[in-house]
Amino acid sequence: MFRRTTVAAAVLAAGALLLSGCAGNPEPEPTATAITPDPDASVNIRMVLEPGNLDIRETAGAALDQILIDNIYQGLVARTPEQEIVPALASDYEVSPDGFTYTFTLREGVLFHDGEELTPEDVVWSLEQVKENAAYRDSARLAKVDTIAADGQTITLTLSEPDSTLLWNLTGRAGLVLEEGDKTDRKTAANGTGPFTLESWKQGDSITFARNDQYWGDKAQVAEVVFSYVRDPQAALTGALAGEFDALTGFDATLTEQIEANGDFSVVVGPSTDKGTLAFNSTKAPLNDVRVRQAIRQAIDKESIVAALGAGSTEYGPIPELDPGYEDLSATAPFDPEAARALLADAGAEGTTLELTLAADYGTTVSQILVSNLNDVGITLKVNQVEFATWINDVYVNRDYDLSFVLHTEARDFENWANPDYYFTYDNPEVQRLYTESLAATDEAESADLLKQAARIVAEDHAADWLYNGASVVAVSTGIAGLPSINVNERLNVAEVVKSAE
Amino acid sequence: MIRYALTRLALLLLGLFVASALIFLTLRVLPGDVAQLIAGVNATPEQIAAIRESLGLNEPLLSQYGAWLGGILTGNLGSSQLTGTPVIDELLQKAEVTIPLGLLALTIALLVALPFGVLSALRRGRPDGTALSVGAQAVAAVPVVWAGMMLVIVFAVWLGWLPAQGFPRAGWDEPGLALRSLLLPAITIGVIEGAMLMRFVRSATLQAVGQDYVRTAAAKGLTRTQALLRHGLPNVGLSIITVLGLQVAGIIVGAVVIEQLFGLPGIGRMLVADVGNRDLPKVQGELLVLTGFVLLVGFVVDLAHRLIDPRQREAE
Repeated sequence: MFRRTTVAAAVLAAGALLLSGCAGNPEPEPTATAITPDPDASVNIRMVLEPGNLDIRETAGAALDQILIDNIYQGLVARTPEQEIVPALASDYEVSPDGFTYTFTLREGVLFHDGEELTPEDVVWSLEQVKENAAYRDSARLAKVDTIAADGQTITLTLSEPDSTLLWNLTGRAGLVLEEGDKTDRKTAANGTGPFTLESWKQGDSITFARNDQYWGDKAQVAEVVFSYVRDPQAALTGALAGEFDALTGFDATLTEQIEANGDFSVVVGPSTDKGTLAFNSTKAPLNDVRVRQAIRQAIDKESIVAALGAGSTEYGPIPELDPGYEDLSATAPFDPEAARALLADAGAEGTTLELTLAADYGTTVSQILVSNLNDVGITLKVNQVEFATWINDVYVNRDYDLSFVLHTEARDFENWANPDYYFTYDNPEVQRLYTESLAATDEAESADLLKQAARIVAEDHAADWLYNGASVVAVSTGIAGLPSINVNERLNVAEVVKSAE
Repeated sequence: MIRYALTRLALLLLGLFVASALIFLTLRVLPGDVAQLIAGVNATPEQIAAIRESLGLNEPLLSQYGAWLGGILTGNLGSSQLTGTPVIDELLQKAEVTIPLGLLALTIALLVALPFGVLSALRRGRPDGTALSVGAQAVAAVPVVWAGMMLVIVFAVWLGWLPAQGFPRAGWDEPGLALRSLLLPAITIGVIEGAMLMRFVRSATLQAVGQDYVRTAAAKGLTRTQALLRHGLPNVGLSIITVLGLQVAGIIVGAVVIEQLFGLPGIGRMLVADVGNRDLPKVQGELLVLTGFVLLVGFVVDLAHRLIDPRQREAE
């Protein structure tokens, strides 16, 4: 049904849509054509959060997906920065019209980094391992897969019921293909099929990838990529100004002027699926009253949050613009402190004190605005800034919170609103039904439309507030091209990166 | 002397044992655990429970503590719950950054404190002496982070003489690069600690100047400076060694901040990351080694006192 044929370069070409859309920068952007590539180059990219270990199977964390998927590990299919699904280790694939059968043709001549050839058995084994091993992250994403079988180079998945998210899920951890019986210690090393090999991990400092010269597709255009973990934004800025980085991910957009001042860097702002989520614990008074939740939403000035962050856009619902099912839901809770005060009076909740638990990684910009906005309508907000580990324990595991702020980066994660056990504490059978139907839909447009309906209900229930849709902010040196600019918190595919020979 | 040393050593070991219990217990009070972090924000309670079980986090605290202590006695500090790497390996690797950084900072501190401290004491009451001691007060009050940033802006960004952050990936295989990358952070800590130390040197010198033995020596025909150098310095040295011992702990704390600021892969930065990851076996191993180091410095300082000061030896 959604048949796509082999374009090996498609995966890579997508990464070449570079350096575009720098908001508010009138100067012409450097383009790939202006650069004479240096094939021996080493590219140093500043990253923010270092993974605790590299186990892509068992350890959660966007920091692993961000660099390991696509660059080191690959699946049958992959996603482009524009969030399209394209063939990867499969040269093509086909989904039956009833949505019950997925057929993939596996590429031949693909080698693992240890030199072993990729076999159809590796694929079957990998998917079965994920499906059967509940300790693996994303194991549940293959729950509807009934059988996985190989016949020659043809891999067939049959489902117990249709699942419109399956292909997407196969572009993530659930679909990664590893070598059967491989003894590599996944926590500190890696053996994949991607365009880069994991050269070294110097814990607390950097991870180095080297070009995989046996890669089945177009070889990487630089000899190595070093991911340097520098959390401190000032250290990152001065490092860039001293010429020690070629690109900086997670760049603080408010420092744009400073880094662009000498002309060596330009800040590239791309869309992302980062959702600044202000969760409400609706199991507790007074947040169990929808009027109070609506009042909080209407009290918050989203425009000023986006302005203070220096990048991103306003967001009024659970689905960001990059994901299927998006619609502008700003009418559900427009900024209106007057209306907020009236709602609070109506609910008898004037003078309420609430506590905001937020993970310390996100700084104080957002919480300061929240304190002031809520104070304007008579709510006292106490801010409890905690380590991420404490946030997970108190908020995620124990649901011990009033308001919580975390940046949810994952793409297509609406499922959390259909899961009453999730820390969002949101339980609406109608939303759950619509989500289940969207999974069962065999037509992309129909599935997206069902998600849209469900998202509208979530927003109208004021189940949470979405303070902003974050932007991918990357500062790129003028000597670098080919770095993706979209959703780089999720995926940073460096296969197309080029460094100038000068 | 030997009996003194042995008693002191027994105290050190006792201190280490008490520290191990305190470290173990205080870390257990931290909310959250490594299993929750490994499982992440899409995990079910069953998945978290399974990880906890496999890491042995469900064992009673006392038996966890016993196992850790037993390991230490057999020379095993434990290993990371995230990567399985032995704590000692990680410590040795990170010590390649932190120990040279600390030594360099200490050297700089002494180079600042000794000459300026003595000078400001000798020139007391004169404009240059006053300027020196006011200057020291001011420098000692500068926040480490701000000082580091200013140095980076001047020497790395403007002048381009030294790196702004990071440590060469090849480490000490590139000694020149490695040393250069430690210079700014060491100056940052060293000058500030040196300014603090200078005040001790100054007051110790002033005290010595007023002592009878200096006056007597001067009466016997030595100049004041000669008298101070020959008879005053050993006494000044004593109090400085004591303060230096305390300063070592200050430098370790300084390293935690400075390693973040300069992106140095040292022990301080590792400790912060491991606490954030709730990798408790690693954190407790690291803390115990650091505590042991500080206690050891105190032990050496006490012994040095005995050796230098005949009054203490004879008191036995």
